[in-house]
Formats: sequence, C-alpha cells, structure tokens
Amino acid sequence: MAIRDVRAYSSIHARVRALYSTMLTPETWEALIQAQDFDALLNILSKTVYGPYLQIERGKLTPRRAVYQIRWHLADIYERLIPLTPEPGQQLLLQLWRRYEVDNLKATLRGVETGASWDQVRHLLCPMTKYITLTTADMEKMIHSGDMARAIECVRHTPYYGTLVHALERYQEEKTLFPLEVALDLDYHRGLWHSIDQLTGPDHDHALRVVGTMLDVNNLLWAIRYRVYHHLSEQEIINYTLPLGYQVHDEDIRAIAAGADIAQVVRRIYPDAEGLEQLSERARAGLAALEVSLQRHIVRTCHAAFIGYPFHIGVPAAYLLLNEHEVRDLTVLIEAKVSRLPLEMFVSMLETQVPAYQTEQR
Amino acid sequence: MFRPQVMSKVELVVPEHDVVPVTQVLAASGVFQPTPSVHLGSGRLSRSAEDWRRRATTFADLERRILAVMEALEVDEGPPPAEPPQLIEPETAQMDIDRLEWEAGAPVRELEEGRRKLAQLQRYLSQLEPIADLEVDLDTLRNLRYTFVLPGTMPAANLERLQTSLELIPSVLVTLRREDHLATVVLFGAQRDADILNRAARSAYLNPLELPEEYRGTPAEAIAALESDIKRARQYVAECQTTVDYLHEVRVHSLRHLLWRVRASRTLAETIARYGRLRYTYLVAGWVPTSRVNMLRREVKRISDDVLIEVDTPARQEDGHVPVALENPPIVRAFQSLVTNYGHPRYGELDPTPMMALTFPLIFGIMFGDVGHGLLLALLGLLLVSRKVRALRGLSGLGAVVIACGVTAMIFGFLYGSAFGSEEILEPLWIRPLQDVMDILLAAVGIGVGLLNLGMICNLVNAVLTRRWGYLLFDHNGLAGMIFYWSLLGLVAGAFVEGLPIGPIPLAALAAVSGLAVTFSEVLEHLVEGRRPLVEGGLGSYLVQTPIELFEVVISFLSNTLSYVRMGAFAVAHGALSMVVFIVAEIISPAHGVGYWIVVVLGNLFVIGFEGMIVSIQTLRLEYYEFFSKFFSGGGMRYRPLTLVSRGGE
Repeated sequence: MAIRDVRAYSSIHARVRALYSTMLTPETWEALIQAQDFDALLNILSKTVYGPYLQIERGKLTPRRAVYQIRWHLADIYERLIPLTPEPGQQLLLQLWRRYEVDNLKATLRGVETGASWDQVRHLLCPMTKYITLTTADMEKMIHSGDMARAIECVRHTPYYGTLVHALERYQEEKTLFPLEVALDLDYHRGLWHSIDQLTGPDHDHALRVVGTMLDVNNLLWAIRYRVYHHLSEQEIINYTLPLGYQVHDEDIRAIAAGADIAQVVRRIYPDAEGLEQLSERARAGLAALEVSLQRHIVRTCHAAFIGYPFHIGVPAAYLLLNEHEVRDLTVLIEAKVSRLPLEMFVSMLETQVPAYQTEQR
Repeated sequence: MFRPQVMSKVELVVPEHDVVPVTQVLAASGVFQPTPSVHLGSGRLSRSAEDWRRRATTFADLERRILAVMEALEVDEGPPPAEPPQLIEPETAQMDIDRLEWEAGAPVRELEEGRRKLAQLQRYLSQLEPIADLEVDLDTLRNLRYTFVLPGTMPAANLERLQTSLELIPSVLVTLRREDHLATVVLFGAQRDADILNRAARSAYLNPLELPEEYRGTPAEAIAALESDIKRARQYVAECQTTVDYLHEVRVHSLRHLLWRVRASRTLAETIARYGRLRYTYLVAGWVPTSRVNMLRREVKRISDDVLIEVDTPARQEDGHVPVALENPPIVRAFQSLVTNYGHPRYGELDPTPMMALTFPLIFGIMFGDVGHGLLLALLGLLLVSRKVRALRGLSGLGAVVIACGVTAMIFGFLYGSAFGSEEILEPLWIRPLQDVMDILLAAVGIGVGLLNLGMICNLVNAVLTRRWGYLLFDHNGLAGMIFYWSLLGLVAGAFVEGLPIGPIPLAALAAVSGLAVTFSEVLEHLVEGRRPLVEGGLGSYLVQTPIELFEVVISFLSNTLSYVRMGAFAVAHGALSMVVFIVAEIISPAHGVGYWIVVVLGNLFVIGFEGMIVSIQTLRLEYYEFFSKFFSGGGMRYRPLTLVSRGGE
C-alpha cells in the first residue's frame, strides 16, 4: 500500500463512500417498480437523492424533462469528483465525462438531420456545465444552422471537428448519420483507452477492470450488432471496432466478424452471460437479453471495485458508472410508467437491480 | 465590509400601462435583481405572460438572425452602449433585418462557395503531389482492367485497422504522406475484389480522391492545371472578400445598433413575462441592497405615482435564496474577483475578501521578497490601474492586487536584504533566506499555523452567525477541531522543545477527547441541533466512514500545515535563482562589461516573469486549498442586477 496513493485518494474515497451510500436502495427500487404511474414514481423519486433536481413546477415535468432533470445528478457528481481526483486519474474521469459530450453531440447531429427545433433537442441532452469543450450555445447554434456541413463548422474549436469533418464526406454521399456517429465513437473510445494506458500501478489495474470492462462490452456489442442488424462485411466490422480491450481481444472481434458462432465466442469471454441459447436460434431476441446481461456484468464489476484495497481510481470511476446505470434504469422506468407497460415487460430490462421475483423466475 | 450587503425584498404593484417604463427604470437603476413572480399572480390571466414570452421568442429569433449576418460580415458586437438603447417593435426590426439579410446574403454565399471550391482544389493538389513523379496517365489509372487502385486520405489512426481487415484479401496499402492525423494513401488490389476493397476502404474512412475528368494527363500535368485553377479561385475569393469588407464597413454601426435595440427589447419582454399578473396590474418582485431602496423608490415614483412598493428585509439566517452583493472599499475590491473565482459567499456568512486582501500580498511578499522586483511589480500594477496601455486594459481590475503584492515584496526585500537579486546592496533587517534556510522554513510554518487558525476562527464566526451551535462545537474546523489541532501541535512541539507549559499527558488526553468529538461530529451536531436521523445513510456505512474521515482530518491538518513550508522554500528559491543570474553574468563577462549587464537585466526580467507567475499560483493555491477550506464553502447566489444591455452569453 503506497502512502502516496493513500494520501491522494483518502479524501475522494471517503466522499465516494458517502455518495455511494446515497444511491437508490433495493427497497426504493422495489417501490419505484411497483409505482402506479408516472406521478407516483416522481413522488417516490422526490424523496431520494434526485429530489432536489425534480423541484420544478409539476406541470412542466414531462417525462422527457424528468429524465433531463435526473441527469443533473450525474453532472453534479462528475463535476464534484473530477477536481478532487489526483492526476493522472483525473484525466480518466474527464474522459469518462466526455462520453456525455459525445452523446450530446450525436443527439444534436440527429436534431440537425431531422430538422428538429432547439426546444425539441435541448431536453434530450445531458446537462453539462464544467469541463466541457462543447457548450449548450454551440449545440443551439448547430441546430439553427440547418445544414450538416454548417453545423459541423460550429464545433471547429472542439476536439471532434477533425473527426467529423473527415466523416462528413461519407455523410454527404450516404445521407445517413451512421458514419458520423461511428467515427465519433471510435475516436472517443480510443481516447478512453489512451487514458487508461497513461495510468500505472493499482490505478491502471483497477481502471482496466472497471472502465476496460465497459469498453469491452461496447466493442463486443458493436461487432455483434453490425453483424446481426446491419449485415456488414467482415472487413467493415473490423474497421468499425477496436483492437483494444481488457477481456475482449482482437481475435474475438475478428472471429465474430468472420462469421464464427457468436454465442460460443461470448461464452468463452463471459461464461455467465444470458441470452446465448436464444442468440443461436433468434439472434435479435437473444441480443437484447445479452445486452442487458453484459450491462449487468459491468454493474457487478463496478460494485466489486468497492471491495478490497480502496485507494485507486477504480473506486470513483466505478461509482460514476454505477450512477450512469442507475439513471438509465430510471429512464426505462419513466418510459415504462408513462406507457403503462405491465411489470413483466420492463423489469427484465433493468440493469442495476434485479428484483427478487425476477431472480426466482430464473 | 466583512459581510455581504444587507438585501431587501422589494415588491411592486405596477399598473398595466406603466409596466414597460417601470421595468426600464428598474433596469437603469442597476440595483434591482428580479425574481420570478408569475406564481404570485392570478393563474386565469396568464395569457399576458404568454404574450410577453411569445414576444421574447420573436426577439430572440431576430437577435439570432442579426448575429448570423454579423458573423457572416465579421462584425463583432462592440462595447455595450453607454445609454440604455431605445426599444424597438418586432415588425420594425423584422423589416430592417430582412433588408440586411438580402443585402449581405448573395456576397456572403459567393464568398463561401469560392472558399469551398478553393479548399477542394487544394485538397486535390495535396493528394496528387505525392504521386507527382509518376509517369502514368491518370486516365489509365481510372480505367485499369485488372488492377484496383484507390488513392485518397484517411485518419492515420485507422491505417492499422484497415490493414488488419484486408489481411486475407490480396492488397497493398501504401502510405504516401502523414499530416495532422490524416494520411494520404493508395490502396492497390485486384479488380475482382473491388467491391470488398471499396467497402473496407469506406469503413476505414478512406475518402477517395475523386479528381474531376477535366484534369487529364500525368499527375504532373494535372498538378499544373490545378495550380492554375487555384490561382483563379484565390482571385475570385479575394474579389468576394472585398465586397464583404465593404459591406462590413458601411453596415458595422447599423448592425450593432440594431442588435442592442433588439437585445434590450428581448430582455425587457423576458423580464415582464416572469412578472405576476392581476386583472389590471403586474406584480414585480426582486432584491435590492437595502441602502439603495430609497433611491429606487424615488426613481419609480418619478415615473408613476400609482405604483405600490412594499419592502421586506429578511434576517441573515434566511440565506437560501438571497442574492449576495459584496461591498468592499476600492483597495480591497480588487481581491473580490479572486474570491468569487473560488465561490460566492453565502448571504449569512463572512465575506473572505478583506482576509484575502491581507493574506494574499503577505504570502506573495514572503515568497518574492526583493526590493527591486517588488518595485517593478508595483509600477506594473500602476500601469494596469492607469489603463494607458490598450492591450492591458482587460487586466486593469488586477492592478491593485499587483501593486499590493509589489509593495509587500519590497517590504520583505528589505527584511531579506535583497535588491534585484543582489544581496550586496542592502543589509538584511531580518534574515537572508539563502543563508538561514531552517529559520525561514520554520518561520513559514509558524505563519502557516497562524493563518490556519485565522481560518478556523472565521469558521467559528460563521457558525455563530448562522447559529449552527453543533457545527461550532464539534466540526473538524470548529472548536473541537481547533483543540484537536492545537493538542497535536503541542505533542509534536513537545518532542522537540523542552519546558512547554503543558505536559504530554494532558495534551494527549485533550487530543483523545477532541479527536473523539471530531470523529463523531455528525452525530453530535445532529444531537445538539435537534436534527434527525442522527446518522444518515445507515449505521454500517457511517461506522466504515468515520475512521477514514478522522484519518483524513489528521492528514489534512498535517498537509495543510506543512504546505506553508513552500513560502520559505520559494523565498530560498528566489534568492538562489537570482544568484544563478549573477553567476551566469560573471561567467559571460568577468570584467562586468556590457554582456554582464545584459545578462543581469534579462535574468531579472526572467525571474520576475517566471517566478512571479509561479509564486502567484502558489499563493492562490495556499489561499484556496489551505486557508479557504477551513471556513469558506461558497455556494451563495450571485447578485445580478437587471440590465437591458447585457452581452449575449450573460
């Protein structure tokens, strides 16, 4: 145990521990799942850590706005933890935070593509105020530009410009956002890997375990989706994925690209993954189950980061990722309650909490 | 001076016909911060708010259109007008903007088109240049029967992946050039694999070189044709630019004028949309410094006697929603921006600006003690304050800070006997840091202990002001924390110094008792303040967290205290760096000729610039992380009086 690590991480670790205890409890999840409708769900949420963000006029709290407000919590914890984290771990958190910027950029590009108004787009974004290169004003300007080439000119000052401007040629040929979005994703994930690579000692090991697992799952799911949904060629799948990873290696991606049995490849990496049997029979149905199962694997990996030696970047990174999954689950719940979906249709999609009765069923 | 200004909540009932002039007066007063009062009005009549909101949206759209024209003509917003601009009707503004858009539209479009064409031609050229020596006709390359050839550019990061993806396909990828993360490449393969190769290249973002048919012959011939076209395109762009420049010249004032009028009208509409509405009146609410309430009342009454004004001054403890207006004498005010850069004080707590004004120059002076360097800094500060140099006007607010730092540096220069890095001109009134290293380091820690205690005392004052008695008694920066800190200091001092008035056993007992109080501060604070539950987030998590927090408190006491050693270390470093300047000067010109003096002057300038910057950063660091963390959390709401001439982003 290096005293330097203890000194650097003792403060942030105590804070993360305190924040970790404010995450939604299984009892709250149960109450949220059982909530009668959207209003009942908001009432329960208002008594949790998300309460302060939902303190706006109830009439204005549409489902979309509620999700937007909930995301403020994510922004708050990122912006609170980043300055407390010592270098070079801070760079990793900044890179994780940039993921939301990339998502915002993609949402804005979709808005430009569909000719949406700023009011339609603004509440789909993740609120971000600090540590950003792309401001809300930039995104508003993009939407008002009304044309993809002009919209991309609005982000000239950001690190995304080079990537987008090069991919623009393909967008103009194919008139689909796919090349722009993939280019952004690949560039972002390469940067994320680079941030992990900059770390040493326990920081590197734990970042690899936590963030590397997330990167693995994304890379693996990309490869599978490109094959199952998009029917891309072997060469295209390889070019649209990354040769980097923690447990998912390039040979796994290349095997999937080359047409190997997906279930077999995934089982070799994640023996406990669900949906693999289905994947061989009805690929699309199995893929949905596999996606949830792999996301749950990330959640378990993040919880595991809180056990054992605590003075490393893995703990704050895991906490932040756990919150992201919590927000994703809340989004699922909000949509389910608004659409009045029966319980059995949405509980299987939750990533952070597996309700007791669902476990029994399995 | 030590606390934010007392604020009053002002509520006005304004007749409908007076709402615009009254809002203009409120904005012109520069002291009124409006708060939304829609909820105070009658819900049935909220159509008025809707109308104003719609009007604000119209103005916002018009403003965006003006800004687009301004951007196209490269016109900036310019400084805000000295007088509040006249309001404008949306229809009038619309006509003006239509005309400006029509006027600027065609030339700007032609310029953009010309630039795009030029960039495209330059891209063709850069792709052809690497194969300039190839003695092959481009038409031959275009129409190869058995060989697939694909020249183009791609992100350098994708090169390896493309090669991997084509491992099983007979092909060769040749990189001709790498520049700014982009690579110019040629992909060769068999024509029968063209489909696979094309798909692979596209997925690796290889943008093919699509040279138009008119560029024929060898690459060298095509390059010559391209260069001639580029020359023509440049000429065309220059002509378009001249037209746009002319428009810029003739329209700069009218565009700015129109922008500020539309912006003022938009702000006014947005402000009124947030007022509450009764049948014939508007309800306006906001915050005003209590000392300015009478002035505001007079100004409003001058517009209309029918306006009813109610004033309420809340107690300091109700600080959650009261905006914070700081009030400091001019010399201290300069330090305000350094404080607000960290955070705004809350309404009920101390304003740390006076403490900052005292401690910042002191810490800077200790680290940068030199009569000559301090004098130059003070002169630089005077120059900044005078605003005589246009390029430095933006920094004029920091002038007083630089002067204060220069003066304290001079004082410590006399104490250290240092002038322009030379220790031969003056006799020290106190010590020479380079010769008495231990003394200066110990003195630095001593001053640090004093500053940390000042911080803790401020925290106690804040706790008393906000009536948080549990926090006052048990927080790690409260009374218990202070006793814990002093008893730990006593124990450490006892190990080195004999004859302390208090023995180690009472000190250890004090440390144990106060340490326990700090460990369980959350429970004790809740108990004293009557807050429940006593433990938040579960007992298990609390019991895990508390020892770590106590450990963190001890570590932070230690690190905060030792952090001040840097003051002494930088005083030593300043002397050492200056000495190096003289040694280098001596080596270059032992006879003290021109070279000697050039090195001395340049060296001194380097020391002032380089070390001055580092010392400023270190001072700020000591203030923010060591001193402020003891008592100041920020989080207060900034006081933003209404103005109709705010900049776009404000």
